[in-house]
Amino acid sequence: MKCDKVYILGGYQTDFARNWSRENKHIVAMMREAYQGSLLSTKVEPSDISAAFIGNFAGELYCKQGNLGAFFVDFDPCFVGLPTSRFEAACASSAVAALSAMAHIMSGIYDLVCLIGVEQMKTVDPVKGGDFLGAATWYEKEAAGIEFPFPKLFGKLGDEYEKRYGLDNKYLARIAAINYGNAKKNPNAQTRHWFMNFEHANTAGKYNAVIDGRIKVTDCSQVTDGAVCLYLASEKYAAKYAKHRQRNLNDIPWILGWGHTTAPIEFAKKVADSAQSEYVLPITRKAIVDAFRRAGLANCWELDVIETHDCFTTSEYMAIDHFGLTKPGESWKAIEAGIIEMGGKLPINPSGGLIGCGHPVGATGARQLLDAYKQVTESAGDYQVDGAQTAATLNIGGTATTNVCFIVSKRH
Amino acid sequence: MVCSINCVAVLGSSGTIGSLVGGLIAQSGIKVYFLSRTLQGAKSGLQKAIAQARSEMISRNIVCGDYDHLLESALEKADLIIESVTEDLAIKQKIYEKIERYRRPDVIIGSTTSSLPLTALVKGRSESFKRNFLSTHFYNPPGKMLACEIAAQTDTDPEIYDFIKDFLENQLCRVLIPVKNIAGFAGNRIAFLLFNRITALAEEHGVEMMDYLIGPYTGRLMPPLATLDLVGLDIHRAIIESLYKNTNDEMHDWFVLPDYINKMIDRRALGNKTKGGFYKKLESGKYVFFDPGTCDYIPAIEPHVAFVEEAKHLIHIGMYREAFTTIKTARGREADIVMNILCTYVAYSYARIGEVTECEFGIDGIDRVMSFGFNWAAPSLIVNMLGGKKAVIELLDERGLEVPQALKSERESVKEVSNSGKYFVAR
Repeated sequence: MKCDKVYILGGYQTDFARNWSRENKHIVAMMREAYQGSLLSTKVEPSDISAAFIGNFAGELYCKQGNLGAFFVDFDPCFVGLPTSRFEAACASSAVAALSAMAHIMSGIYDLVCLIGVEQMKTVDPVKGGDFLGAATWYEKEAAGIEFPFPKLFGKLGDEYEKRYGLDNKYLARIAAINYGNAKKNPNAQTRHWFMNFEHANTAGKYNAVIDGRIKVTDCSQVTDGAVCLYLASEKYAAKYAKHRQRNLNDIPWILGWGHTTAPIEFAKKVADSAQSEYVLPITRKAIVDAFRRAGLANCWELDVIETHDCFTTSEYMAIDHFGLTKPGESWKAIEAGIIEMGGKLPINPSGGLIGCGHPVGATGARQLLDAYKQVTESAGDYQVDGAQTAATLNIGGTATTNVCFIVSKRH
Repeated sequence: MVCSINCVAVLGSSGTIGSLVGGLIAQSGIKVYFLSRTLQGAKSGLQKAIAQARSEMISRNIVCGDYDHLLESALEKADLIIESVTEDLAIKQKIYEKIERYRRPDVIIGSTTSSLPLTALVKGRSESFKRNFLSTHFYNPPGKMLACEIAAQTDTDPEIYDFIKDFLENQLCRVLIPVKNIAGFAGNRIAFLLFNRITALAEEHGVEMMDYLIGPYTGRLMPPLATLDLVGLDIHRAIIESLYKNTNDEMHDWFVLPDYINKMIDRRALGNKTKGGFYKKLESGKYVFFDPGTCDYIPAIEPHVAFVEEAKHLIHIGMYREAFTTIKTARGREADIVMNILCTYVAYSYARIGEVTECEFGIDGIDRVMSFGFNWAAPSLIVNMLGGKKAVIELLDERGLEVPQALKSERESVKEVSNSGKYFVAR
């Protein structure tokens, strides 16, 4: 039976401050903890799960481990024979896993999909890890032989803004300070106990080294170990789930809209292609606009909160105008006006985002969806945006190559 | 009474705890005076604080100086004084005389001690000094270990106590453990009993074997004797002697220091700070281990015990409960040692409820200090892992350990295993 609505039943995030290599743990331990935690938080019956979808970027490189879907079968005797799959789209791996889960649910194939996003990154030193991440670009052209290719590429995003519209780096520092500040309220955020303020983020020095051009350490998201497990369900299953728990189906959030676009993999080509567009990354803008359209939203001001992909401060700077908080090139105005801060008109990344909460690459899309769920169910604790009803996520893979936007809402 | 903390003076800011606690306070945007016997000492503390914050920016909130030149003016401005000078009653009393001389009448004074009796510390001080005095015991390093025990002495003003509790919890983001005014408070009392018990067992079974058996897989980030090398055996002895002298409980005899520890201290084998304690790293990078029998270092034996290896593997793949079932069902001398230590930990911790923490908090305070002060799996988590309250009561009975009333009456633990996996390390 085909289904129009895909519901989110909640889930679980591991503590992103943990170093699982220091704990001498295999990547399966992370998946298992996330799964077991999700059972405790959602009370889903394992035997109800129709399939498990795993989002992961580079298990083969970081852990010498592929075929991650197979591990799920070990988690419960009733899973033997269960269909499982692993999805890869760089930093958007678990968002594309979620899209596929939606497609399977909407077409009536599955009723309840367990979605796990996972990445164990602290198995190698930062230089080697940076090289692995280069696989999310056109490696031969953009990453081979280059130390830390991604900061350089996202530095170029800032350069493009500067060229077209002007860019004062103090606004990037402000983005970093806001994300770190928000992360302090998130008990699972990697940086929740780290020191940060605007002055530190705005000043290069021994403890805030310049990586390349305008990108300093504080402009970057973290190398993070982490997993997130959540459940996507058909309306039929969600109704049964709600009834058994004496909950109202209308209180369970659903995916109101989605957008999914792919741009050419090379960053230089993306920028060249966008020369005539007022948006620096129009393919990313299209994913957002598609999600708005499917959700029936006129614009961003119908959202209450955004969890966006701030792999670097420049990517959040881009997201601000691409979501439509300002005219193209004027993201600084939203920053200056406090719009994106907690208590502002449209808070961005109350979780701390990738900069503050952490960025276990293959888990980030799932983490954003879970945080969107938490916000609209008023279960985000100290980082709750008051009265949030509708949340958007933007997860990008590569240099905004794969773009996935979800609108999560409990408006029915 | 002080109604907000805008300025803090740290006395003993050259030391690790003084400098790092001072740094934490500066990180929260408060002006901090780093005071030490010498300006150089205070400045060395500032460097430690900067390294902890990983930012030079905090130095904007820090003023360094020595007692002779800056104490008077700093104390005139301070809303809170953190005293973190050497753990020596006479030295602390001397510094309190100075504080008494220059302090504002309403200033709050927090000592970072956990082993010296608070009543002895404030002997001879004015009524208002005593009213404003309490212990704020931070764990080391405070940037990573969030536990902070807070203890009032007889004359501490309850309003001051509540105010500082709120400050530590909300402004310094500490995990607060209200404790009673008793030597070692909660954390050191329990941990050092276990440490001392393990040093005694090392006489029979060897240092390397004890750290292997009671290794991280049993619910701790570091093996116990390696932890003591980090603490320093001189500090260990001082704590054990204070606990022996100032406490009395069903395991009091286990606070007697094995004689070989005195010999290690005499030989300056204090631990990491003297580049050798229980462990010594050779130039080749290999470790040798102190042999309590010969008082010499012996090469590694690299123990391999089947149930330990099986438990570690299960932890490696995230099957923590199954790992503890393996430990629990194992048989033999080594298994007895591990289970005796785990059961002692549980029995001793639950028996301290009401003595070191208020009964109304149950095991919660002790759980928190062991997790956030030592990175050990909390006693209630170990109970959970060993099969729950009923199973653990049987295990304690089997070992002739007194079953604490608090364990019998404790609600069955509902701790989520998935939240606590970080305490089980596959080593």
